[in-house]
Order: sequence, then structure tokens, then C-alpha cells
Amino acid sequence: MRELLRSRPFGFALLLSLALLAANVIAEPSFGKPDNWPQELASFAPLAIVAMASTPSILSGGGGIDLSVGPLVIFCNVLLIHKFFPHGLESGWAAVPLILLIGAAVGAINGVLVTKLRYQPVIATLCTFFILIGLNLKFGASPRPAPAGNWTTHLGDKVWFFPGALITILVPALVWLVLSRTAYHRQLYAVGGNQSTAFSAGVDVTATRIVAYALGGLFAAIGGIALTALVQSSQAASSAQYTLIALAGVALGGTVLGGGRGGLLGSALGAFAIYLMQTLLSAVNVPPTWNSVVYGGMLVAGVVVGAWLMTQRPALRRAAA
Amino acid sequence: MLQPAAERSADTDRTSASRPQVALRVTDAAKSFGATQALRKASLEVRPGEVHAIVGENGSGKSTLVKLLAGVHRPDSGQISIGGTTVNRLASPKESLRAGVATVFQEVLVVEPRSVLENVWVGTDGLFRDRTPRALKRERATAALAELLGTAPPLDLPAESLSLSDRQACCIARALVREPRILILDEATSALDVATRDRLFAILRRLAGDGVGVIFISHRMDEISEVGDRCTVMRSGETVATLERGEAGAEELVRLMTGADHLAPAAAREEAHRREPGKALLTHAGLEVRAGEMIGLAGLEGHGQDEFLKSLWQVGDQAGVRTAYVPRERRAEGIFESKSVRENFGLPTLSQDVRYGLLSHARTRERLAGYVERLRIRLHDPEDPITTLSGGNQQKIVMARWLATDPQVLLLNDPTRGVDLGAKRDLYGLLAELTAQGVGVVMLSSELDEHVELMDRVMVFRESSIFCEIPRAGLSRQALVSAFFGERPNA
Repeated sequence: MRELLRSRPFGFALLLSLALLAANVIAEPSFGKPDNWPQELASFAPLAIVAMASTPSILSGGGGIDLSVGPLVIFCNVLLIHKFFPHGLESGWAAVPLILLIGAAVGAINGVLVTKLRYQPVIATLCTFFILIGLNLKFGASPRPAPAGNWTTHLGDKVWFFPGALITILVPALVWLVLSRTAYHRQLYAVGGNQSTAFSAGVDVTATRIVAYALGGLFAAIGGIALTALVQSSQAASSAQYTLIALAGVALGGTVLGGGRGGLLGSALGAFAIYLMQTLLSAVNVPPTWNSVVYGGMLVAGVVVGAWLMTQRPALRRAAA
Repeated sequence: MLQPAAERSADTDRTSASRPQVALRVTDAAKSFGATQALRKASLEVRPGEVHAIVGENGSGKSTLVKLLAGVHRPDSGQISIGGTTVNRLASPKESLRAGVATVFQEVLVVEPRSVLENVWVGTDGLFRDRTPRALKRERATAALAELLGTAPPLDLPAESLSLSDRQACCIARALVREPRILILDEATSALDVATRDRLFAILRRLAGDGVGVIFISHRMDEISEVGDRCTVMRSGETVATLERGEAGAEELVRLMTGADHLAPAAAREEAHRREPGKALLTHAGLEVRAGEMIGLAGLEGHGQDEFLKSLWQVGDQAGVRTAYVPRERRAEGIFESKSVRENFGLPTLSQDVRYGLLSHARTRERLAGYVERLRIRLHDPEDPITTLSGGNQQKIVMARWLATDPQVLLLNDPTRGVDLGAKRDLYGLLAELTAQGVGVVMLSSELDEHVELMDRVMVFRESSIFCEIPRAGLSRQALVSAFFGERPNA
């Protein structure tokens, strides 16, 4: 176990998740029943996906961060409900590629603002954050339910025997897995780990960063689909809800905000720990007003443990080498 | 120094007939950064199959020239041609690498958390597509690292777990696996251990034998004489001469680096330096700073003089000596950009301005006025932001700030860098005045003339320690530069 903590930055999030999972099952035995998994996973999926969507921009370094992924999830949700379904775009085969493209495009715009126009990433994505919230409120002013029996309902429940939410969580993970077998993955970590080294070695730093933001946007669009599947209505009012909690998941999952270290799996696990904490608190009847306090405390512990692990690792490897 | 070596010249003669005569040519390249003209007129010609050394003192433009060739900076004017084709400008390192120029920089550039293998091959692939099969990457990285290090480190180990020397070996291997036509090593040997350096030299000879043009920059004369076929000397942003191997000795090189017009010793100022050494104020690592003397810290950049000066500050503080330190990076360490001249001046000495428990700005202004007159600071209104002043006047304000603390020892870190001539003269006058009052002054300077003209003695730094001390009588530009490059002055 110590070896795992040492070699994998997400070890803490994994152990925490396992412990919380056990606690959840003890506190609420029905939690562990397979019949309930599709619903539980569906309510977890948006959070997990936003955390994953926040990760590539952070990995790309240079202070990279994308605050707009939370509102972008809602933007995609609002587009689906208010623009796609009422206007004849009822087939998932047409809607999914279009919504993914929109997500990636918004991410790419963030990337261009950060790299070409040299905006501070926090500022650039904060602008997008507000613009998206504004658009969400304009398009989705009055919450509207999704038409009954639309294609997203399967993702909220089961596709054949498979929990649909698991698919929406697995798609970003799968994209990431495929990418990790390409040169792009290495260049992203090189740019995030040491920008001047990457630049002097001939890496296209600008393109690498733009793709990182576009990936985040793509993942956010998947999150929008997952959220629509879960709630079957438009959620314009909760536009600002996911961003910060997702960042907490990223940090808890061992991704370093300076860039170059960490990964998607850690972020998903970090989000999982936060989600499990939330369900545990409601299972033992703690008022939801306490949730934020507990997340904050968890994050403090997670960051301390993460920093401790970071200082441990190189020293141990050097001794071993 | 640069003696002829029969076996090497025979080798190049044999191979040069079948190849183009010039691998790389730079014609009249110039580059300025703001008001600073880093490169005025540099011309360079590198033949295939030669190791071409470039020497020059601090700020002579070596690194700027390298950065133009590496595509990090773009020249303002001038031409670069590689293998006979003119490339007007190399827009990025990527283009430079594509043109066959691989550069190893002085800084050890690795991506710390990533593996050795990734560090060696970083930048060679497309955005998504691998251009080299993974197995071949492993094989060639192992071969390059083994040739450099004897045995290659595990390729999957993160670079941060390697020693500094091995990390630099990764950077060199990164250049080698690209099979460049031109290989540039910019002081790349300073981080290497001796055995690795020797193996690197063997590699350079092999590459030169294969027709690669190697540009080799080093601060060590012994290295240059060991591997250099030809040597180009740079001085104040210009290439002043290119010498064949064996054409010139170390003295001639130093003369070229410093400029023939500075040969006369500055005897005129001798009188000013005839002072009785005062009592010792503080001692650190073998250096005793005495009241009323002026000690220079010299050396090529990054040889430990900076750290030494800062540790003097610490030692002085701990010993209870009033020590003031004027930092080098004026913008980062010296001034508060958004604050007024008055605030910039008064901060460390505000306790002197307290009236009835409150600060009196008028009192600060009064104190400042004294220094404005004494240091001849050109100032409109003390409430103006400090950034409205010229560089020289900003520096004078920083000096005034620390003089107000009434120091016994004044530590100056290259105080005249980026300061105009008039302000420099005022500063020199002030320093003479201060030493006459018994203040001990230690000044790091990257300008040789300041050492020759001002100092009672100069400590020359090499490889993080004091290499030698040159007394007033022995101070000359030649003596200093010789010492920078590891030749001890004759006693």
C-alpha cells in the first residue's frame, strides 16, 4: 500500500474512495445493491466528467486552468433541451457529434485566448465562464423537461445491461487512454512539466495547449449529455455549480496545479471521493449545509498528504537508483 | 593552447574535398533587446567536419548568436545560411531543428517528472503521430546515453532522479539522436563531470569525422585547445577574429577578447587607492572586508560570485555588522514599481520618521532631499512613481535607500548594469566618498573596466569558489580575463 501511495499520485484519492465506499455501504446497506448502481452512477457522472474535463488544461502547465467547463456542461445540456429536441434534432446519432463539436470548439477558443492572445488562463476562462452562464440563462430561462423517451434516457438508466452513466464516464477515459498511446500525451506532459525544454526541443507549445483546452471542452460536452440523461430537464440555474467542486476533485486526485504531473484517472477518483462523502453525509443525516465544510476539510487533508508524497518520492527513488 | 595536432588536420583534409565547403554561414547578424544591442555584427563560418570554438567574455554576444541559430530569437538583420541554402530567419526551435541544427543550451533543460526516454526524444514527433517507432527510440537513446555515460541510466526513470551531469547528458543525447548537420554546444560542458566530458569530446571528434559541423562554446581554455579546430573570438557583440588551430596562444586570445585598445594599465588613478587599510569588519570564506577598502568580485556569469555576495550579507547580519545589499535585478529585487520615489526610498528606515507615533511623510522627504543633492538624483517630485525615473536615477534611489541605514559594509551586485555613463560616474564618485569615510565596499561587477579602475583588490570566481585574488598592482583586463578562463596571474 505504501508503494502505491509512493508511485501513484492518486493513491490517496483511491484509498479515500475505498474507505468512503465501505462507510457508505455500512451506513446505508441499500447503497451497495446492484439495482441502485445505475442511478448512483448517473448522479455521480456529471461531477466525475467535469473533474476530468478540468484536467488537460491544468496538465498543460503555464498556470493553465479552465474555469468554464462547469457552465459548458450546462450549456450543452441547455442546447440539447431547448434547441435540439424542439427543433427536430431528436436522434442521438446527429446530436452527439454536434454537441461534442460545440464543446471542443468552446474549449479551443479558450486555448486560443490563452496561447495566441496571451490572456492569463484564469481570466480567459473566467470570461468564458460568465459568457456561458449568460447564454445558459438566455436560452434556458424557464426550465423545461426533456421529451419523454428521448435517447438520453437510456444513458441515465441502462444500455442493455450496462449502466448508461458508466458509458459517459468511460468515454473521456477511453479518449484519454487512446491519446496516451500517441505522441500528443507525451508532448502535453512535456509542455506542462517544463515549457522551455519542450519549446527548445521543437515541441509546438501553442498547438499542444490549444488541443488540451479543446479536449477539456470535448469532455465537458460529454458531461452535458450525462447531466441531461440524469435530470431529463434543463438546468440553467445551476451553471456555476460544478466548476469549483470539480477543481477540488482534481486537486484531491493528485494532479499538480502547476502542470505536468497527474492525470484523468486521479481526477475521476478525487471526484468519486467527494461524491461518496456527499452521499455518506446525507445517509447519516448530516444537514447538507455542512457539505462544503467537509469538502474543504477533505481537500486540506488531501493537499497535505499529496505534498508529503511529492517530497517523499524523489528522495526514495534516488536512494534506490 | 591551440597547438597544431597533426592527426586531426590530416583527418579533416581527407574528408573536406568531397563536401560543401561551408556547413553554416552567418553574415552580419545583429540583434537588440530594447535599447541593448546584444549582437552588433556577427559573422561566422562553420565548415563541415570541424569543431568550431567561440570564445568571448560576458556580454560579448555568444549566447545571443547561439539563440539566433537555435531559432529562439530572430535576428534584426543579417543572413544565416545552412548547407548553402539561405534561411533568412529561423522562426522557432522547431524550424531550426528541421534545418539540421541541434543545440544544447547552458541551462540543463529537462522535463523533470518525465522519463529519460521521453526527455531524449521530446519534440521529435508530430502533434499526434509518432515519427520514430518506440523500439528504435529505446535503442538509439540507449546507444547515445551509453556513449556519453559509459552505461545508460534506466530509460524509464524520471529525469528528476538523475544527477545534474546525467540530466545534461540527456540534453546532449536529445541533440545527438536527431543526427544534426550542425551541433551547437553552448557551455554544455559546465554541468558535466570529467569522465562524461571526455566521452563527449570523443563523440565530437567522431561526428566531425562524419562531416558534422560542431560549434563549441566553453569558458575553459583547456577544453577549447583540446577539441577546437578553429576559434572565433567575440567582443561587444561583434566577431573580431577567427583563428586556425595553433595560430594563437592564450595570451593572444585574451588580447582579442578584451580589445587591444585597453592594454595600457590605469596608472593615473593609482593615487586614489593609496589608503591605509582599516580594521576588519567581517570575514567570510577567507575574504576579510576591511573598513575603507573596495573589493571587486569578478568572474564569468554564474561562477558563484552572486551567491557569495548574498552570503556575505547574511554573515554580516549575523555578526551584527550593519550591512546593506543593493541587488542586481532592479525591477525584481530593487524597486517597488507601483510606489512613489519617497516610499521606495524610505521603507527600511521609516522608524526615523515617526512623529507622535505616526509617520511623517515630510520628514521622509526631508531625508530624501539630502540624498538627492548628494547623489545628484534628477527628480521632479518625490511623490511620482519610481518608474518615471531613468534607470540610473532609479538605481541611485535604491542606493540612497540603503545608505540611509548608515551601513558599515555596502554590498553592491552589479550596480551599473543598464545605467548610463553620467550616472555611472556619479556612482563611482559616491563610492570613493564612502570608502574615504571608512565604509567597506564589496562590489560584484560584470564590467572589467570597473574592476581595473575602482578596486583595491579583486576576487576572481571560478566554479563556485574564489579562484584567485588579484591585488591592485596586478589589475588589468588581461589579468582578469586570463583568470576567468583558469590561468592564474603570475605572482
